[in-house]
Amino acid sequence: MNKELEHRFVTQLEENQNIVHKICRLYTHDQDSHNDLFQEITIQLWRAFPKFRGDSKFSTWMYRVALNTAITLYRKSKRQINTQDYESISFKIKAEEYDDTTEQQLKLMYVAVKKLNDIDKALVFLYLEDKSYKEISATLGISEVNARVKMNRAKDKLRKILNP
Amino acid sequence: MDELDKLKKEWQSRELDLPKMSYNDIYKMLLKKSSSIVKWIFIISLGELVFWLSLYFVIPDDNMKLMHDMGIGPFMYYTNIIHFIVFGTFIIFFYKNYRAIQVTDNTKKLMSNILKTRRTVRYFVIYNVGMFVLSSIFIDSFFYSNSNKLYKVMDFASKGVPQENFANVFIITQVLVGVAVIGLLILFYWLIYGILLKRLKSNYKELQKMDY
Repeated sequence: MNKELEHRFVTQLEENQNIVHKICRLYTHDQDSHNDLFQEITIQLWRAFPKFRGDSKFSTWMYRVALNTAITLYRKSKRQINTQDYESISFKIKAEEYDDTTEQQLKLMYVAVKKLNDIDKALVFLYLEDKSYKEISATLGISEVNARVKMNRAKDKLRKILNP
Repeated sequence: MDELDKLKKEWQSRELDLPKMSYNDIYKMLLKKSSSIVKWIFIISLGELVFWLSLYFVIPDDNMKLMHDMGIGPFMYYTNIIHFIVFGTFIIFFYKNYRAIQVTDNTKKLMSNILKTRRTVRYFVIYNVGMFVLSSIFIDSFFYSNSNKLYKVMDFASKGVPQENFANVFIITQVLVGVAVIGLLILFYWLIYGILLKRLKSNYKELQKMDY
């Protein structure tokens, strides 16, 4: 196998691995499944890598392959959401000031997003990652108008989960 | 600005306490094997194709001889040829659909291609089960109406099988065996694909709903 290609791939994935971890966090419920999914995404990315022409950003390309793997290809284990999730999530704060309420709100939102169905989850995740509607619609394969409409509905769902 | 958008800003400015994989961790993963559902669908589908194909090779010679002695040898011969042409067509379609599955496609297209591959194999199975049922009906009714000839050809007299009621016992056994085989097949498919494709199907429906 081409060593240089391998090296280029591993380096880029190492740099951008947070995207994959975030998706694994959203779509799995324990560390073992997290690692399983990470591995499957890595394999799928690696297989598709020779065809990656670099006309889009590596990270943009990654979102698509990683989400496709999480939603479509990965066989989820039967384990259900456990309550540890909420406790174990901690947000590293880049800014100096520590805002307890925001931290709490973020945690709650994270838990709320995890409660959405697989597709809504992808939609909201891409939105939180500040992807344009054009990009979201291209990733999921739905029209841009529908992506907007459905995003608003997903937001409503989130709001309901957050403020029951 | 709404509450969610405020949180969106926070989401980006902060980072989750995420695990970190080293270069070597990632490198090792490249050598691991995939366990995606596409791989499983491919393996199981190949198994099905091989299973149905091999059935035509493991049919005992006695059986063919019986067909000949009963006078339907040529008929069976030509049906088998048609059968294999249909088999070949299915295999070409299956291969083409399988090759069309690309993880870099958009989610909807990817899902639709996976389901298409699956559908090809399902039609293949339906075709086989259908042919199995049709040919059973045909052969059984043919044997039933020619039960005297069958009794002689199979030489049941020397095996001590009484000719009285022979036709009825024969047909009942054939039907029971046939129904049992089909029942088992349906159970098998229901179990395997039910488990494998449940989530994919419901996600696909969700996505389709989104686009209307």
